[in-house]
Amino acid sequence: MESLSRRKFIQRTALAGGALFLLPKLEASMLSDNSSGNYFLKEFGIDESLCQKLLAKALSKGGDFADLYFEYSVSNYLGLEDGKVNQSYGNISLGVGIRTVKGDQIGYGFTQELTEASMMSAATTASTLCDMKSTPVATSFNSPKTGNYYPVALDFNGIPANSKLPLLQNINQKCFGLSHEVVKVNAGFQSAAKRILIATSDGVMSEDLIPSGFVYASVVAERNGKREQSFYNLGGRRDSSFYTDDVINKVASKAVNNALNLFDAIQPPAGEMPVVLGPGVTGILLHEAIGHGMEADFNRKKISTFSSMIGKKVAEPFVTIIDDGTNLNLAGSINVDDEGTPGKKTVLVENGILTSYLHDKISAKHYGVEPTGNGRRQDFQNYPIPRMRNTYMLGGTASVDDVIRQAGNGIYVEDVSNGQVKIGEGDFAFYVSQGRMIENGKLTSPIKDVNIMGNGPKMLGNIIMAANNLEMYHGGAGQCGKNGQGVPVSFGLPTCLVKSLTVGGTQQKGGLS
Amino acid sequence: MRYNNNNQQEFQELTDWVIDQAKKAGAKDCKVNLSKRRFVEINYRDRKPEVIKEATTQGLNLEVFINNRFASQSTPDFRKSTLAGFVTDVVDSAKIMEEDPFRTLPDPKYYAGRTSIDLQLADPAQDELTPEERHAMAKAVEDSCLEKGGNKVISVEAGEYDETYEELVKSSNGFIGANRTTQCWTGASMTAQDEGDRRPAGYHWVGCRYRGDLPSLQEVGAIAALRTLDLMGSKKIQTETLPIIIENRGVGRVLGGLFGPMSAGNIQQKRSFLSDKKGQQVGSKLFTVQDNPFLPRALGSMYYDSDGFPAKKRDLFTQGTLNEFLVDWYYSRKLGWEPTSGSISNLMIPPGTRSVDQIIKDLRRCMLITDFIGGNSNSTTGDFSVGIIGKLFDKGQFIQNVAEMNIADNHLKFWNKLVEIGNDPWIYSQTRLPSLVFDGVVVSGV
Repeated sequence: MESLSRRKFIQRTALAGGALFLLPKLEASMLSDNSSGNYFLKEFGIDESLCQKLLAKALSKGGDFADLYFEYSVSNYLGLEDGKVNQSYGNISLGVGIRTVKGDQIGYGFTQELTEASMMSAATTASTLCDMKSTPVATSFNSPKTGNYYPVALDFNGIPANSKLPLLQNINQKCFGLSHEVVKVNAGFQSAAKRILIATSDGVMSEDLIPSGFVYASVVAERNGKREQSFYNLGGRRDSSFYTDDVINKVASKAVNNALNLFDAIQPPAGEMPVVLGPGVTGILLHEAIGHGMEADFNRKKISTFSSMIGKKVAEPFVTIIDDGTNLNLAGSINVDDEGTPGKKTVLVENGILTSYLHDKISAKHYGVEPTGNGRRQDFQNYPIPRMRNTYMLGGTASVDDVIRQAGNGIYVEDVSNGQVKIGEGDFAFYVSQGRMIENGKLTSPIKDVNIMGNGPKMLGNIIMAANNLEMYHGGAGQCGKNGQGVPVSFGLPTCLVKSLTVGGTQQKGGLS
Repeated sequence: MRYNNNNQQEFQELTDWVIDQAKKAGAKDCKVNLSKRRFVEINYRDRKPEVIKEATTQGLNLEVFINNRFASQSTPDFRKSTLAGFVTDVVDSAKIMEEDPFRTLPDPKYYAGRTSIDLQLADPAQDELTPEERHAMAKAVEDSCLEKGGNKVISVEAGEYDETYEELVKSSNGFIGANRTTQCWTGASMTAQDEGDRRPAGYHWVGCRYRGDLPSLQEVGAIAALRTLDLMGSKKIQTETLPIIIENRGVGRVLGGLFGPMSAGNIQQKRSFLSDKKGQQVGSKLFTVQDNPFLPRALGSMYYDSDGFPAKKRDLFTQGTLNEFLVDWYYSRKLGWEPTSGSISNLMIPPGTRSVDQIIKDLRRCMLITDFIGGNSNSTTGDFSVGIIGKLFDKGQFIQNVAEMNIADNHLKFWNKLVEIGNDPWIYSQTRLPSLVFDGVVVSGV
C-alpha cells in the first residue's frame, strides 16, 4: 500500500474531521494504514534513530532525562444558529515538544516543523537548562503495554461533517418541538482526532490515537417577557457511533427542560447551610475542591493544603476517592499519559485516609514512588504537569431520600459550573446553574444563579452521608485549566450530604426572593 | 535569538498567493490572516531556574465565502506545496454548509478611516533582550519577594515572559492590515505559612508593551509578598449588607458581565438583558465607561478590529446611560443595524480624586475586595454571583482578612449602587479601571 507523503498528508487532512467523506475512496482507505505503532514513522519519517539523536541533543549538557512529544491533531466544529448549519471551523496542529529535566527543573523547546534541523534547534533550546557533561540515551525503545479505553477504527480521523449536519438539524427541531416557549436554539458539534508519539531517553516509545468531541444544545426560552437560557452537552472520547437518536433527544430535552425550570427558580437565602450534591456532574466539586490539592506538583512545592496529610484521616470512613484513566470513553480517560506512562487507576482517599497524590515523573522521583500516569499536557507547545483524569467518589449505602431528609433545610445542587479553587488555602467557589431548595427534608422550589463557597479539606471532612448511586459525567465540553493549559477531564459523585457550605445570594437569611 | 523583522514581505507575497488560490478553487471571497509569535518564558523557584521555555509559532487562518456559505480553517504549515491542498479543502468545507444570506465579508466602505496615530505597539529594544537579562529580571523579582516575605515564605515563583507578535490580514475585497506588537511581563507568586494547614497564595504580575515601562523589579517582588501576607488569617464573617470597594485590578471581572450582553450576537440571539436598554439609565450618574483604542503603548490599543473596521474611541456608558452596543458585521446584518465594532480595546472609567485609603477612612464598616474566585454572570438575566477575598474595615481601622465569602446581585441594580470612584486606574491591563465603591451590597458568609 502506498504511503502518503507528508506534503499530501497535510493537504488532505486540512479537511479532516470536517469533510473527510469528500476524499477519494482510495486515499481515505490509505489512512487505515496509519494505525499500528508506527504512524509517525510512515507519515513524517520519525524513526528511532532520529528520536535518539534528538534526545541526545536534549541531554548533551546533562540532565536526568529527556522526552519527545510528537503531536498531529485535526479538529472541526460545525455550528447551527437560527435554523442553519452555517459555521464550519477547523484546525490542524502539528509539532514536537522536547523537554530536558534535571531534578524539578525543566528546559523546553518546541517546533511546528518536523524537519531535522528545526527539531534539533528545539532540542538545543531544551538543553540550555543544564551545563554539565552529557547524559546517555537508551540504545533501544520498548513500548509499554496499555489498555484501550476509547476504541475507534484504526483510520479514525475525526467525525465527518456530513454526519454532523443532520444531527444538528435534528437537535434544532427537537428543541423547538419540545416547547412553544423556546425562542432560540444554538447547537454545535466539536470533534477531534489526535495522534501522539512519545519517546523518552530511558527507552520508552508509545503511540496513541485519541478521539474527542461533544454535541451541545443551547436554548433560550421566553415566558411572560422573562427569558432564561440553558446549555447541555454529551460526548467524550468517542467516534460517531455514540451520537444516536437517544443522545440527540437527551441533549435537546435536557437543554429545554433546564431552561424552563429556571422560570420558577428563586434565589435561596445567603449564608451557611447543609448542601446535598446530586449525582454525576456535581463531581466537578470533588475535582476542584479536593482533586487539585492532591496534584503532586503542588505538594512537592509544599503549596497545597494537603501537602502534610498523606496517611492521615481526611474524611469519614465511607469516603473513597479515585482518579481513574481507565474508564471507557470518558473525557479524561487515557491509554497512556503524555510522558509515556500507561493509564492507571489511582486511589487518592481510601476509607477516609489520604493514600496518594497524582504524580508525573518529576514528582514521582521526588517522592520515591512510581508515576501514577497523571503527566498530561494540552499540546506539544506545553510540558506535562500532574493533572486529573476522571475523578470520582464511590457510592455509599444510604438512599437518595435518606440523604435529602437528613439535610433538613438547605439546598440540593443538580448542576454546577465555573468552579475555582485556591490551592494553598483550599478555598473554592462554584456556580449553581440548576438546583432546588430543601425544606423540612423535601425538595421544593428550583434555585438559580448562586455560588457555593467552602474549603476543600473542610468539605471533605464534612461529607457525612452518601447514597448508593454513583454517576459519572458524560459530557465532553468540560476542560480543566491549570497553568494556562486545558485538558479534558470527567468526574462523578453519588448523591451526598455536606454538613455545611456557604451559599451566596442577595437575600440574608429570613427572606426569600 | 533575534526575531526576524522581515516577515511582512513574506506575508504579503503569501497572502496574495493564498487569495488567488482560493478564488481559483471557487471562493467568491476570502480573508487570510498570517501570524508569527516568538516568545521566551523563564521561571525561577528556590533561586534556580525552574522552567526555561522558548519557541516561535506561526499560523495561517483562511476564511472562505461562497454564495453565503462559510468555512474557516487554520494551519501552521506555510509551504505553498501543502497550502494548495489546504485551500481546496477549506473551499470544499464551505460548499457543504447551509446558505446564510448574512455571511459575507464586510462592505469595503467600512474599512476606511484608520487612524494615522503611531500607537507604539512594538518595543524596538525587545529584540536586544538577552537571556542573561531575562534571568536577571526573574532573579531580582524573586529576591525581592523572598526578602519581603521573610520567615512566612513557603514558596516563591518568579518569572519573566516576553513575546513579539506579527500579523498580516488581507481580504479579497480590499482590506489589508499589518501589525507588530511586543509584550514584556514579570511578577511573582508567593505561598505563605498561615495558621494550621492554610497556605495562602498571593501574586503580583505586571506587563507592558515596552519593557522600559515596567515598574522596578524590587517593587514588583515586594508587592507580591505583601499581597500574600495580606491574606493571612482570612476567615468568613456573618452575612451582612455593607459598602464594598472593588480594588482596581479586579473591577474588570465584574464589569465584564456587561460586555457580553452588549454584543450584537447576544442581542440577536435573545441572550442579553441589555437588549432594550440602549439610551436608558443602567447605572448611577458616576458610571461612565470609555473604550479608547488610541492610547500609545497600551495593551488594548489597536488600529483595526476583527472585522477590519478602523478602531474608534467610544463612550459606551455616560453618567449611567448605555450609549452603544458592540455590533460586528455579521450580526449588524442579521439585526438590520449599522455596524459599530464588536471588539473592545482599552476600557477606561474616569478616575476620581481620592485614594482607596482615604475612602476607607470615611466609610464605617466596609469590605475591600482584592480578588475573586469562581462565579458566573448570566447574560440573559443580568444576575451574577462570585466568590470574594478581601479585608474588613471599620471607621478606617483594619478588622480582619476575609475569605470563603460571596457577593451576588443583578447588574441592573448593582451599577446603581456605585457611589465613588478611586483615583488609581490599573494600567497593566486593557481594562484600565480604578477602584470602585458600591453601597449596600449583601456579602454572604456564615
